[in-house]
Amino acid sequence: PPPASVGRVPGPPDGGWGWVVVFGAFISIGFAYAFPKGVAIFFKEIQDFFGTSYSEIAWVSSIMLATTYGAGPISSILVNRYGSRPVVILGGLLCGIGMVSAAFCTSILQLYICVGFITGFGLALNLQPSVIIIGKYFLKRRPIANGLAMAGSPVMLCTLAPLNQFLFDNFGWRGSFLILGAILLNCCVAGALFRPIGAATAPVKTQAIEEGKDALKEEVTKDAMEMSSPMNITMETKTEEEGGKGCCEKVNQYLDFSLFKHRGFLIYLIGNVLMFLGFFAPIVFLAPYAKHIGIDEYSAAFLLSILAIVDMIARPTTGIIANSKWVRPRIQYFFSFSIAFNGACHLLCPLASGYTGLVVYSIFFGLAFGMVCAMLFETLMDLVGAARFTSAVGLVTIAECCTILLGPPIGGTLIDTFGDYKYMFIKCGAVMVLAGTFLFIMNYYNYRMLAKEEKERRAKEEDPKSVRTENEGRNNWNKETAQDGPELEPLREEREGLKKEVNGT
Amino acid sequence: MPAAFSGKRPGRLLRRLLLRLLLLLYLSLSLSGGSPADPTMTTQDASQSQAYSLTKMQAGLNESSPEPVTTTRTVNWQTQGSPSDHLTLGRNVSTPGPDLTTQEFKQATKENMSNVTFVEYEVLLPGVSGTSVEKNITLDRAARIELSCRLDNKYSHLKSLQVTWKRGNETIRHMNKTENSWSIQLRILDNSNLGGYSCTLKGEEEISAMFHLQVPKIEGKEKPIVSYEGDTAVMICKSFGYTPIAWTWYMTNGSEQIAINDSLLADKYVINRLSANVTHLKILKLTKEDDGVYWCEAAFELGKSKGKLKLRVLSLMVPLKPFLAIVAEVVILVTIVFVYEMYSKKKEKSAEDEKEFDQVEQLPNCPSKSEESNGLENSSARHRKT
Repeated sequence: PPPASVGRVPGPPDGGWGWVVVFGAFISIGFAYAFPKGVAIFFKEIQDFFGTSYSEIAWVSSIMLATTYGAGPISSILVNRYGSRPVVILGGLLCGIGMVSAAFCTSILQLYICVGFITGFGLALNLQPSVIIIGKYFLKRRPIANGLAMAGSPVMLCTLAPLNQFLFDNFGWRGSFLILGAILLNCCVAGALFRPIGAATAPVKTQAIEEGKDALKEEVTKDAMEMSSPMNITMETKTEEEGGKGCCEKVNQYLDFSLFKHRGFLIYLIGNVLMFLGFFAPIVFLAPYAKHIGIDEYSAAFLLSILAIVDMIARPTTGIIANSKWVRPRIQYFFSFSIAFNGACHLLCPLASGYTGLVVYSIFFGLAFGMVCAMLFETLMDLVGAARFTSAVGLVTIAECCTILLGPPIGGTLIDTFGDYKYMFIKCGAVMVLAGTFLFIMNYYNYRMLAKEEKERRAKEEDPKSVRTENEGRNNWNKETAQDGPELEPLREEREGLKKEVNGT
Repeated sequence: MPAAFSGKRPGRLLRRLLLRLLLLLYLSLSLSGGSPADPTMTTQDASQSQAYSLTKMQAGLNESSPEPVTTTRTVNWQTQGSPSDHLTLGRNVSTPGPDLTTQEFKQATKENMSNVTFVEYEVLLPGVSGTSVEKNITLDRAARIELSCRLDNKYSHLKSLQVTWKRGNETIRHMNKTENSWSIQLRILDNSNLGGYSCTLKGEEEISAMFHLQVPKIEGKEKPIVSYEGDTAVMICKSFGYTPIAWTWYMTNGSEQIAINDSLLADKYVINRLSANVTHLKILKLTKEDDGVYWCEAAFELGKSKGKLKLRVLSLMVPLKPFLAIVAEVVILVTIVFVYEMYSKKKEKSAEDEKEFDQVEQLPNCPSKSEESNGLENSSARHRKT
């Protein structure tokens, strides 16, 4: 940080230990997304063993997925209080305990609890903090970091699938669960790598608080602190200065419900909840559809491998593209485009005839899927800022939880009723194109509103009364007005600072 | 399901029926095969409900249905227009025989005559010799069948053909069904009537086709079932499409096969017949001696057929070793990470202290400012380090 802005908090490292954190997040996120799918290999055997029907077994996977997404807010609250590292280590331990106890289960109900709830909860405690800590370590290169970390999911899936098969052939399902429990403990290693980054700036915060107390209003100080230290505010700071407000404020400290008034957050929430209705169903039904039109089992399974490989490459690539100076300011448009592209693929799938057509579809689907996933959390961070991202991600995941679980069963019902897979593809495609269009239009509106607000804020800044209260803020503003770039689109302080740096590089 | 059928014409109804049936066949094959590289099955209620509907329909179709089953429709559905495919009901379900790509296999009308079914099987012969044509026919109960060999019309220029039907070395009298087809009628009443029947056309070249009549095959499991001492093992045998009269389980003792009597050893073996086509063998309180090969035998009217299953019994120590190894690896890695962090923090702090010392020394000229800005600059130095 330049010496002129004395006392200004430095931006996130954007490198160094950050890349180690990305690696840890890669592992953590990989397990969280790939494990529920990988465990499906054991279902046939477990179904025979307990003598249950297939849908009863499929509940295990559904419960795991539901818990992973539904426990998002709890995860957010814990991260808000304790930071990412302890939560991920706890998550890893829970996963391990869950799977090890599942190895000794004697009924399907116990499996629901051990594999479904406990392991699912552990995975939830893995997923959110990993995503959150990337936001703390990166700003300039955040899309790349996000893309790389999210690439963990297909890589882990490709590794877990044959590994699970190998374990199953050699140890049966009980032994495999035991060993998988140990493997999941590796999430603790990933968690150990998540060095907390907020702690070093604690003295700066107290410094700012002192300055704020010298100033006239506490609210103004709060704004100053948000502007000057965008990356490092936690809810604890608020407790220090606000102390003893109403219970609403207290709840907001743990989980920021005021996000529901945030325009960008609401847009993201509605668009994503809609999108997830059609997101996972095509993957679930791709292999059955292939077999339905006459392709043999192994080639059908190979389609999924193609999808995973393309996905693996697409995610970091999308991260790099999203980080470029042309796309980063307009990343929301890129995100909406990739959702609509995904939907278009599904709409065109029924036209694919024969194996070659399906291979082409898999490639494009893998590409689109990777693009969407890589930017899933990046766009949320972009909209709400890293400070409130912790709570935002928790609220978003619990809302998505419902539609994620509904998507494949609705697709299945469509297939059953019409006896044809094409209606499922049409439904998924239509839903996603709709979601993409909605996001595109609403984000255009959002960008314009943000530009307007920014102009108003600048006009207010000319007022001498507010200038005196924040030394640091003034430094920031001077810098910004001095380096007013030709593009005016992104208009929160964070993004302006970022744009400066991007333009400069 | 019923809603889909109401109010539709019988032709459409039939097509839908066949559509579902074939979907079911593929699904049942895939479900039984258990594709290992298909990990993304999160909620497959659709396929499961389809599997259920299929078993129901299959059961329904196994009884002699009054509706004639026409294969042309089946072929069209299966290949989406391409006429060279050959999928039929009977063949695919029970006999994984060689693919017929050079001729069509048609199953014609099925009539009820007293309680013996009468089925006609026809093979279309290619005009060229050298290609051996074989067809597997699965029969589970006594039947009257007619086997016919037909020469395609485009080869009708071939004159002076001598047609022989044989079973092994024994010649069977045949009849000319039409100008270009020859057939024999057989009564299959017991095991001795099964086997291979061939028709040979001798002209300039010799063209022949072979029909293999056999009982339904039972598939066991190729991969061994792994279980642990003291645990329970469940072994399942299924018969696809044909209902056996009885199931028997055998265990292998050395080279002998001993029948398992579950009433005698009721606390060790439990045999359940879950449905007409499925049998379960549950072995309780496993020990090392239970390790080995097991056979499930299905008895049909015309004979018996066996499926092979392997059981492996492991002790709990076997998976425990990799488990402990991985846990040890995790503990070591976590320790390394934490130790490295403490070490690098110590290094930072000592370097910081040195720098602060330097900074303080640099500010002797501004006594008035130093008290205010000291704190600021100290903190800036501190966070510059991080």
